[in-house]
Amino acid sequence: MGVVEDTEPPLKRAKTLADEPNGFSGNSSVRGSSVNSSLGDLMARPLTSQGDEETIGSKGVIRKSEFVRIITKALYSLGYDKAGAMLEEESGFPLHNSIVKVFLQQVKDGKWDESVVSLHRIGLPDETAVKSASFLLLEQKFFELLKIEKIVDALGTLRNEIVPLHINSKRVHELASSLISPSNFISHTSSAPGKESVNARSKVLEELQNLLPASVMIPEKRLEYLVENSLHIQRDSCVFHNTLDSDLSLFSDHQCGKHQIPSQTVQILESHTDEVWFLQFSHNGKYLASSSKDQTAIIWEINADGHISLKHTLVGHQKPVIAILWSHDDRQVITCGAEEVIRRWDVDSGDCVHTYEKGGMGPISCGWSPDGQGIIAGMTDRSICMWDLDGREMECWKGQRTQKVSDIAMTDDGKWLVSVCKDSVISLFDREANLERLIEEEDMITSFSLSNDNKYLLVNLLNQEIRLWNIEGDPKIVSRYKGHKRSRFIIRSCFGGYKQGFIASGSEDSQVYIWHRSTGKLIVELPGHAGAVNCVSWNPTNLHMLASASDDGTIRIWGLDRINPQNQKKQVQASSSNGVLHRCNGN
Amino acid sequence: MGRLFVVNLEGKIYSCKHCKTHLALCEDIISKSFHCKHGKAYLFNKVANVSIGETEERMMMTGKHTVADIFCVSCGSIVGWRYETAHEKSQKYKEGKSVLERFKISGPDGSNYWVSSQGRHIGGSDADDV
Repeated sequence: MGVVEDTEPPLKRAKTLADEPNGFSGNSSVRGSSVNSSLGDLMARPLTSQGDEETIGSKGVIRKSEFVRIITKALYSLGYDKAGAMLEEESGFPLHNSIVKVFLQQVKDGKWDESVVSLHRIGLPDETAVKSASFLLLEQKFFELLKIEKIVDALGTLRNEIVPLHINSKRVHELASSLISPSNFISHTSSAPGKESVNARSKVLEELQNLLPASVMIPEKRLEYLVENSLHIQRDSCVFHNTLDSDLSLFSDHQCGKHQIPSQTVQILESHTDEVWFLQFSHNGKYLASSSKDQTAIIWEINADGHISLKHTLVGHQKPVIAILWSHDDRQVITCGAEEVIRRWDVDSGDCVHTYEKGGMGPISCGWSPDGQGIIAGMTDRSICMWDLDGREMECWKGQRTQKVSDIAMTDDGKWLVSVCKDSVISLFDREANLERLIEEEDMITSFSLSNDNKYLLVNLLNQEIRLWNIEGDPKIVSRYKGHKRSRFIIRSCFGGYKQGFIASGSEDSQVYIWHRSTGKLIVELPGHAGAVNCVSWNPTNLHMLASASDDGTIRIWGLDRINPQNQKKQVQASSSNGVLHRCNGN
Repeated sequence: MGRLFVVNLEGKIYSCKHCKTHLALCEDIISKSFHCKHGKAYLFNKVANVSIGETEERMMMTGKHTVADIFCVSCGSIVGWRYETAHEKSQKYKEGKSVLERFKISGPDGSNYWVSSQGRHIGGSDADDV
């Protein structure tokens, strides 16, 4: 709502100009109207040649007159009326053509008949626009007459001025009916008539803006809009962008350096005694859960200063623990022992609350049902089972999957059950509607992960490619990511960073790989681990914290490249071979 | 060694002699008349659960080929080689296909192949019998 109530200077100006018609050749001549030729002199300004041809800027695409006029408009919007008026005068580019100025003033003053005349004098090429605008003006005249109870005059307006326009007959009927029952007609507020008409007139101006071409009546906030667009584009093209929007400045092009991407090892967690196969941050970003070939899982706590310490070691499985997943409220986790059992644990106490098993076969993947009321598991006999929390089997889907070792997941809204059903095909099964959508890939699928918003699926293929699919509606492939190494193991990848704009993955060459999600560009490779990196997880609430799990038995926490004196002890240099490594045995 | 990704095959399966990982199907055999240091070898259309080594030029009995050794993903033992490119036109049909050494795999019926103590040494090449 940027219509500025007129203060003195423009008013005076308008009146003066109305007396000495000022033919401003600029835009009107483009419109091909004959208005100006019938009006007086050009306002003589020695410096500026006021054709449309004059451009500024290095590329010659910005028209000077337009540029100055939107700045003028911005000044008025900001409330700097004096500055706005000065700019108009100094540049010789009036914000509005004199006719338009007069017209706008007349609208503000409620001089409807004069405004209609001015409207025609503006000389719009589009007849319909002229008619619609006239309608608007006369309609307001009609209402204002009704307000002051000049019914006869109002009727006259309706009959003689509005009807001949031959448009919007429905509205005409409404107006007619409001003559009969004035209580029907819309009042904006019930405040004093003076205020009300001002509000109503502002509304008229707003609507006129929609009808009149932009060059005649410059849209509100045009300059702000252009600047915002530009910032938007800069931000989107910034490949390393991993900060909050408040960091965007107008003074220089936005370009994050790599320093916003977590690429320094800030902590190494060594509590596992064998290969670490899986890890995941909790939804609230306060905890990290990891699971290992050493048959245990560990829940780690992230302290306020970012340091991580061991909270509980979950002991009980008799086989390597291949996954550990957080419930939606982060109060419980489930762990999957390889072809063994699924266990549910309480995070606070570290106790095993329940064990889920099915005689004769073991689970090889698992998940929470979205309402937290059930557990799903992919079993070695290729079926998918669902238990309620107490262990009663609720459902069992058989025969879908052809591979023993494959991921399953359920979307947060409980709608889709995602699983690998044939070597290179992923099934998205709608449980309610009992229909299935398929993603057919080019090679065998080794693992997948869902995005937080359930709209995207990241698929890891046998041939070392990671593919991003949009699963809203018919599945469509969106991007591909390459560069990491995978030939023997299940390597997992994840989304992360600002607006999940990055893809991170483990790799068999012991490095962590990070790509820019929308461009597919590989932006960092992080060495450090001494064995294959099996799984990565990006903290959902801390843009700058990434965790990786490796065959070397350790978990590395990656953060920003910043030596903070307070955290000096806990910081680790990237080239760590000679540097001092601060190892945390997490007690 | 991380969490292995291993696929299961259905049908008549040849598997790794040491760890029983499925490697190929009987129906994918193209030719049974290949040879290697350890005796017979079969050319397969496709194989599973193998990782591939460095490519190198090798002079085989049938000419120069670019090959790469293939290894069982599970136990890492070498099980054969894969033809990347063949330099002679008549050998082009081998490109992209893999050879598994009979000595290294267990047949569908669990049978193995034993190299005789006087095993012929044919300097690491293959020969095609017509």
